[in-house]
Amino acid sequence: MPVPSRFYRVLIKLYPARFREEFGEPLERQFWDEYGQAGSAPARAIFLLRAFADLAATIPAEILRELLQDLRYAARVYRRRAFVTTLALAALALAIGASTGVFSVVNARLLRSLPFRSPARLVLVPQLISSLNTATPVGFHTTAQSSPFLEDAASYRPQQMNLNANRRALHVQIAETSQNFFSLLGTAPALGRTFAPGEDVEGRDRVTVISYGLWQQFFGGDPGILGATIRLQGVPLTVVGVAPPAFDFPGNTSLWTPTVFDFALLPAGEKMVRGTVIGRMKPGIGIAAANRIYREGVLAAGGNRRLEPFRLEPLRDQLAGPVRQASFVLLGLVMLVLLIACANVAQLLLSRTSERRTELTLRAALGASRARLVQQLATESAVLTLAAACAGLAVARWTVQLAALALPAQLATQAYTILDWRVLSFALGLSALTGVLFGVVPASLIGRFLVDDALRARGPTPRGIRRMRAVVLAVQAAVAVVLLAGSLTLGSSFLKLLNMDLGYRVDHVATLGISLFGTRYETDYRVPQTVRTLRELPYYRQALDRLRAVPGVESVAAVDFLPLVNDPHLGDHFTLDSGQDGPAMQVAATPDYFRTLSAGIVEGRDFTEADRQGSEPVAIVSQSFARQVSPDASVLGHKVTPDQDQPLTIVGIAADARYDPLRKQFADVQVYTPMAQSPGTAATITVCVKGNPEAYLPILRDSLRQVDPEVPVYGVMTLNQRLRESLARPRFYTTAVLFFAGFALLLAVIGAYGAVSHSIAQRTQEIGVRIAVGASPRGVRAMLLRQSMLPVAAGMLFGIAGAAALGRFLQHLILTAEPAGTTTCAAALVLSATAAAAIWIATGRILRLDPTAALRAE
Amino acid sequence: MAKETSIQASLPLPLPIFHMLLALSEGERHGYALKREILQRTNGKLNLASGALYGSISRMLDQGWIEESDERPDTHLDDERRRYYRITALGRRIVQAEAIRLQHLVRLAENTLGLPDLA
Repeated sequence: MPVPSRFYRVLIKLYPARFREEFGEPLERQFWDEYGQAGSAPARAIFLLRAFADLAATIPAEILRELLQDLRYAARVYRRRAFVTTLALAALALAIGASTGVFSVVNARLLRSLPFRSPARLVLVPQLISSLNTATPVGFHTTAQSSPFLEDAASYRPQQMNLNANRRALHVQIAETSQNFFSLLGTAPALGRTFAPGEDVEGRDRVTVISYGLWQQFFGGDPGILGATIRLQGVPLTVVGVAPPAFDFPGNTSLWTPTVFDFALLPAGEKMVRGTVIGRMKPGIGIAAANRIYREGVLAAGGNRRLEPFRLEPLRDQLAGPVRQASFVLLGLVMLVLLIACANVAQLLLSRTSERRTELTLRAALGASRARLVQQLATESAVLTLAAACAGLAVARWTVQLAALALPAQLATQAYTILDWRVLSFALGLSALTGVLFGVVPASLIGRFLVDDALRARGPTPRGIRRMRAVVLAVQAAVAVVLLAGSLTLGSSFLKLLNMDLGYRVDHVATLGISLFGTRYETDYRVPQTVRTLRELPYYRQALDRLRAVPGVESVAAVDFLPLVNDPHLGDHFTLDSGQDGPAMQVAATPDYFRTLSAGIVEGRDFTEADRQGSEPVAIVSQSFARQVSPDASVLGHKVTPDQDQPLTIVGIAADARYDPLRKQFADVQVYTPMAQSPGTAATITVCVKGNPEAYLPILRDSLRQVDPEVPVYGVMTLNQRLRESLARPRFYTTAVLFFAGFALLLAVIGAYGAVSHSIAQRTQEIGVRIAVGASPRGVRAMLLRQSMLPVAAGMLFGIAGAAALGRFLQHLILTAEPAGTTTCAAALVLSATAAAAIWIATGRILRLDPTAALRAE
Repeated sequence: MAKETSIQASLPLPLPIFHMLLALSEGERHGYALKREILQRTNGKLNLASGALYGSISRMLDQGWIEESDERPDTHLDDERRRYYRITALGRRIVQAEAIRLQHLVRLAENTLGLPDLA
């Protein structure tokens, strides 16, 4: 056979199955004849050209035509089984959608490239090692540039500060940086310039680059902003540039100043805060090599290997944060659900195809080949998967919205979206894989047996199919047990969170943040204590009076560290007059604070107006602190002394207040002091109101602003909203896992039910015989139950093992999650009970079975 | 009546199909024979490539205009493996309808322009 003929024969294989079978042979023969007749070489060349052009035109047309036919056929098939199809579609859509949604979080935080020049070379440096003083610009830059592994390094310090411009006051996130911050990251300004070399030297550093968002919202995008003066904490700064849109590193940052080595912006007296060092590794040095050099340097400088595990951290890892493990756990769970959904669709496809065996065998007998039937079945599963993928994208969008609430990203460029090539490819790949694994594979399997049994049209279901069905059922059972156990564990720990005694009530309380830094109410702590005036007090007095006058307000107080607002810390250290001491957090509060939060004073009294500057210094301690320093006797009336300060007389003991419900350790140790004796410069005003506090927020905010427009009011929320916010993450995880588990259970039950009813339908004759020869319907039912529960039980064993493995990972989701064997057993019990019930119900039709009719069924 | 509208909806017929139906009206043919006959009838102007030929046959089979024939005329003359096709009643009505449509067109042109005598 000449080469062109052989080539033509290969090309004919590109026609779709039906056309190829019908006309492949005549096409080939005709080609052979005409090629022979063409005679001369030029005529043959022209003939070949025509023949291949003909193939190029007709192959796509035929494919399209058969595809449309197969699609129409698939639509008819699915319409006949609308219920099961909808179920499978929903299962796949939810599973693909949820996977894609979770993947988009992983993508945003771990995969998407950061908006910096060669971001892979950016690392966080715990400490620059140098003989020079790296707290000065010269020492810092000299050290950074002479580093053996760094090209350069910049320093930054995120802060929250008061910004005054355009006669408005804002409380914003800023970053104090070294002058090379922008150049190190490789970020060019959208307008103006970034900082110039030498601009981080005290005296030359009163300049700022503002964020694009701040420029748009606060200055209306006016290009005339360059050269304008804004006041940060009362310090005037000249705007020299605007950062590009979406640039907000190190996180939600509104403006940058080159003042990291200068303390002009910090509250008077504070000269302690260090900057974070970010370095750019030299080209060609990997993170491992850089870490080796860095550690050697640390050790050479006298660092202790054990005490100081200094390590360079890639910027990407730091930005991914704690969500990293959680995302992977969630992605794993979601994939499990996808697996079970796929298994279900495979199940659907299997039962459907075995039901359609008669039809398919008939078609096979009429000459349809295996390829043709497989083509039809593959089209059907592709249609289902594709439809599911489209619906899945909607689910993914919804998941992303939920995730953005529960796991907000640090940078604007890390915003979650599904409109990203990686996410969309993931969804597409996932759908394709789903379609292939659980559509095409069973289809080809069926194709094979169909041809084998073409003549035994209505025999029992072949062994291969039965075994596959059992495996699918077992996988479903295993996944369902794993997810159920996980959801029970998470659910119970979340319930514990919800029922936790916080030590205060969150309903009826509104909270408003204020900051007096840089305003005329900031005490100057550089003035000696004897002649110092506490300038904050008049503001607090006016503010509380003003809010008290609002109708419906029952009590008002100010506190500098409010639970759910401020992170718990144990930075302070107190010594009781007995000599016992311990750490605690010092909290400054006005009278009525405990009443406003319905937090109990267990012993002694609340602060009063009489506790003021000049009167006896007093304190209220929490029960935990009291127990800690004096386990046996009451501390009431004793004196407690903070480090480097005067002793305070304990006048009351308060119930413990839980500052962060998610953190168990040392959150409850407080020593309260009267605001009038040690005022905080930033505070939260708490207001207890009659009725729904949400309705009061606008009027409270306006009233507070009227006290002094120079003082920014922020974080206006009810305490309940704050609690919900801090529980958002565990709530999200728990809801997600619970949802997945319920979904998996439902799928497994449907799978078991479907498998059993199908097997009964297949074995009607056998069952009829059994009953006819005297078996009781109840006995037959029990037999079917035994047989069907076997794969369920096998899957359950795997599931229990899997649940034990998963347990450890659940703590990435909720710290307090405590996996236990009992929950796993409960999960297995729930599954086996529901599966058994489903199977029992499915076998109910045996009772109504008429043996003679069943026998005639053949 | 419904059938009539469905016939009208199939018109105008692609030229190769018209020729194929016309040729089949004279008797059963296999694919290759159809191709050669059409080539001859059109004085070599319409030379159907194989893919297009069998594509059209496949479509006409689907529409029920032609059907496969079991009879083999002169089995000694022909390869037994060849498939023969014959026109159905519906196919005949379709090709007639197309011919009438063309006739109307030609008459219209004749009345408007006047056509020179072919002879």
